Amino acid sequence: MPAIVVEGLERSFDEVLAVQGVDLEVAEGEIYGFLGPNGAGKTTTVRMLTTLLLPTGGRATVAGHDVVGQARAVRASIGVALQEAALDPLMTGRELIRLQATLQGLPSAAGRERADQLLERVDLEEAADRRVGTYSGGMQRRLDLAAALVHEPRVLFLDEPTTGLDPVSRKTIWEEVRALNEDGTTVFLTTQYLEEADQLADNVAIIDRGRIVAEGTPDALKTEIGNPHIQLQLAEGSIAKAEEVCARVGRLLPPVDGRTVLVEVPDGAADIPRVVRALDDAGIAVDSLELVRPTLDDVFVAKTGHHLEKEREDDEPEAVEA
Amino acid sequence: MESAAQPPEWRTNLATIGALMARAKNELLRVPGAAIPGVLAPTIFFLGLNGVFGALTQLRGFTTGSYESFIVPVSMLQGAGFTGAAAGVNLARDIEQGWIDRLLVSPAPRWVLLAGNVLAASARALIPATFVLTIAFLLGASWPGVDGLLVTYFMVAAMAAVAACWGSALALRFKSQSAAPLMQAGMMALILTTTAYAPLALLQPWMKSVAEVNPVTQVIDAARQGFVTGVSWTETWPGLLALLALLAILGAWALREMRRTAA
Amino acid sequence: MNELAVNARVVRALGMRSIRQTFRRPQLMAPILIFPTLLLAIQTGGAGGAVHLEGFPPVQSFLQFMLAGAMMQSLMLAGNSGGIALAVDIEMGFTDRLFTAPIPRYTIVLGRLAGTAALGLFASVWFLAIGLIFGAEIHSGVPGVLIAMVLVTATAMAVGGIGAAIALRTGSASVVQGLFPLVLVLLFLSSAFFPNDLMIQPAKAIAEYNPLSLVVEGIRGPIIADVDLGELGAAVLAIAGIVALGLLLSARALRHRLRVG
Repeated sequence: MPAIVVEGLERSFDEVLAVQGVDLEVAEGEIYGFLGPNGAGKTTTVRMLTTLLLPTGGRATVAGHDVVGQARAVRASIGVALQEAALDPLMTGRELIRLQATLQGLPSAAGRERADQLLERVDLEEAADRRVGTYSGGMQRRLDLAAALVHEPRVLFLDEPTTGLDPVSRKTIWEEVRALNEDGTTVFLTTQYLEEADQLADNVAIIDRGRIVAEGTPDALKTEIGNPHIQLQLAEGSIAKAEEVCARVGRLLPPVDGRTVLVEVPDGAADIPRVVRALDDAGIAVDSLELVRPTLDDVFVAKTGHHLEKEREDDEPEAVEA
Repeated sequence: MESAAQPPEWRTNLATIGALMARAKNELLRVPGAAIPGVLAPTIFFLGLNGVFGALTQLRGFTTGSYESFIVPVSMLQGAGFTGAAAGVNLARDIEQGWIDRLLVSPAPRWVLLAGNVLAASARALIPATFVLTIAFLLGASWPGVDGLLVTYFMVAAMAAVAACWGSALALRFKSQSAAPLMQAGMMALILTTTAYAPLALLQPWMKSVAEVNPVTQVIDAARQGFVTGVSWTETWPGLLALLALLAILGAWALREMRRTAA
Repeated sequence: MNELAVNARVVRALGMRSIRQTFRRPQLMAPILIFPTLLLAIQTGGAGGAVHLEGFPPVQSFLQFMLAGAMMQSLMLAGNSGGIALAVDIEMGFTDRLFTAPIPRYTIVLGRLAGTAALGLFASVWFLAIGLIFGAEIHSGVPGVLIAMVLVTATAMAVGGIGAAIALRTGSASVVQGLFPLVLVLLFLSSAFFPNDLMIQPAKAIAEYNPLSLVVEGIRGPIIADVDLGELGAAVLAIAGIVALGLLLSARALRHRLRVG
C-alpha cells in the first residue's frame, strides 16, 4: 500500500489558488522530495497532508487514512517537523520530548525511555536539561526531528528541515534522514535546495505556483532535459553581442544574472572550442568558462521558464557533499 | 520499539491534560516577575475601590457595613478573569509562534488540548485570589467560614475557566495577541456589570437591568455570601448554574474555534 | 530664518509625525479611550447611588461628577502611551537619527509631546460628548467646556513629559508599559472618582496631598458648578508642577541617553 496518495488536491485562500490539483503517490519506505521555490505551495501541501489545513478540493490519504475523514488516525501515524520549529523556549529539550511522547499517547515510563534514546541519537544528551531558548538553530532542528520520531511514525514529514542551517548542521540532518529511511520510515521532504533533493530523494516532484511541473527520480528528470550547457562569465557591456554570437553556435538559455551567458551545447565538452573560437572571432573577451551538466534547476527552467535558484531569498552556503 | 499495551484513552487524555498544565506553570516559575501583573491588577482594584467607594456602605439598603467584605469576592473574581484572559493571550502567542501546530498535529483530541489550557488558568487564578484575600483580612474583612471560603474559591477557579474559554476562543479566532485588550475588557465588563459595587437595589436603573440578566451577578452573590450573610444552598446554586451555562457556551465556542483552525 | 522659527518648524514636523503615529494605530488608541469609557459606565451604574450620601457635592448626576475622572484616566494613559512610543523609537534606532541631526534636543521631546497633547484633546472631546449624549450638563456652559479641554490637553502633555523621561532613561517600551498599574494607583489615590471628604483612610489622606486631585477638581469644577478661579488656579499650579518635574526628569534622562548611546 502506498504511504501517501494524493489526487487532485487543491487549496484556495480567498481568490488565490495556492495548490492547484496536485497528484502524487509516495511508496512505502521511500524518501520523496518536494522541490520548489518560496511560495510554490510546498508548505500548504504539507499542512494539508498533516491535517493542519483542510483541502478545498481533491483528496489525500496518508498511511491509508483519509486526511479529512480520518484525521486523528493520520496524526497517530505521522511525525512532523515543520518549517517553523514549533518549540517552547522555556522548556528543556527533555521536557519537550516527554511532552511529545504524552501527546502521542505513550505511557510515561516508555515516554521517558524514548526521550533518553532520542536525545542520544540526535546528540543532544548534554544539552537535554537546558532550556530550548538557549539552543542554536541546528540544535533546535535536531530536537524538532527527535520529537517527530518519538512514536516511531510510519510517515515522517519534514518541511524545509535545513533552511537557515550552516553546512555542518545540514549534513547532520541529511545523515539522520538517511538513517531513518534505512530503518523503514517513509520520508516526505520539502525543500528549496536542489542539492538536498538530489542527495536524499528517491523520487522528486517539482512544484511551481501550486502545480507539479515534473516528477521522477532525480537522474531521470535530468536525463530528460538532456544537454549540458556552457556558462560564460563576460565583461560588462559585451553581453548582448556575446548572446548574438552564441545563439548562432548553440541554444541560448535564460540568463541567471547580468554578467553570464548560458548556451546549451549538444556535444558537451566537444563544443567548447567552437564557442570559444566564435567569441574570439567577434573580439569578445571571456573572464571564465565552465561546462555545466543538467541540474534540477535546469529541469525547473525547462518546465517553467525561470530558475529555481534565482528565486531563493537567502544566500545559503555551498552544500556539502554527503 | 515494542508496543506496550496502549493505556486506555481516558488515561492518555488525562496525562496529556496534566502535561499541558505542567507546561503552563513554566511561565510562572521560569520567567522572573511573570506572576506580578496577575496579582497586582486585582489587588490595586481592591485597595482602590475600597479606599474610593468605601463610604457606599452608609447608603440605606447596603447589606453590610464592611466594604472590604463586600468587594473582596469581586476582586478575587476579577483576578480570575484577568488570569483566564491571560491564558488566552498565551494561546495567541503560541499560535503566532507556531507552537500550536505541535499540539494540533498530535492525535490528542481537541477538547483535551483546550482543557489543558483552561484548567491551568483555573489553578493559576488561586494565587491572586489568595493574595487579595490576605490583604482584605488584614484590612478587616470578615471571616467567611470554611464553607464560605470553599464556595468562593470554587467560584474563582470556575470563573477563571470561563475567562480562559473566552480568551482561547478569541485567540483561535484572531490568531494574534492584538486581541488581548478585547479578552481583558470583555471579562472586565462581564464581571463588573453586576452587583460588584453595590447591592442590586442600589444600582442605577440601567445597571440594575443589566445585572439582573448578567449570569455573573449570581456568581458574585454566591461568592460573596460567606463574607456578608452566611452560606446557603439557595444562594449557591444559581451561581453554580450560571458558571455551568457560561462554561458550556464559551467552552463550546472555544472548541469550535479550535476545530476550525484547519479551515 | 531665525533660530526660533527653525526650531518651531522642527517641532511641528516631529509633532505631525507623532500625531500621525498616534491616530494611525487604533489598536493602541482603543485602550486609552475604551477602557476609561467602560470604567465610567460601570462606576456610574454601580456606584451612582453615592450622590445620596451626606456630604456629596450637589451634582446633577453621578455621571456629571465622574466625567473629570474619566478624562484624567484617559490623559494619563495617553501620557503613558507617548512614553511607550518614544521608547519604541529608541529601541528601533529612530532617535539616533534625530540625535545626529543639527536640532536642539528639546525639540525631540516637544515633538513627541505634541502627539500626546492631541490624544489628550481628543479624549476631552470624547468624554464631554459622551457626557452630553447621556444627559450630563456642563454647568458653566461653553467656558466650562473650554476649560476642560485646555486643562486636559495641558495635563496630558505634562504627564507625557514624565513618560518621555522614563522612556529616555530606560530605553525600554516594556518597562514604560509596565507602569500602567501605577496610573491606576495614582488615580485611585486622588479625588478622580470620589469626593475627597468621603474617601476612606489612608486613601483619603493621600488624595488630599496628591497634585492630581487639584487637577481633576479644576476640570470638574466648571462641569458641576460655576467657574471657581481659586480651583482653576490651583489646577494650573499643579499642572505647572508636573510640567516642571517632567522637564527636570527629561533633561536628566536625555543627558543620560546621550552618554550611554
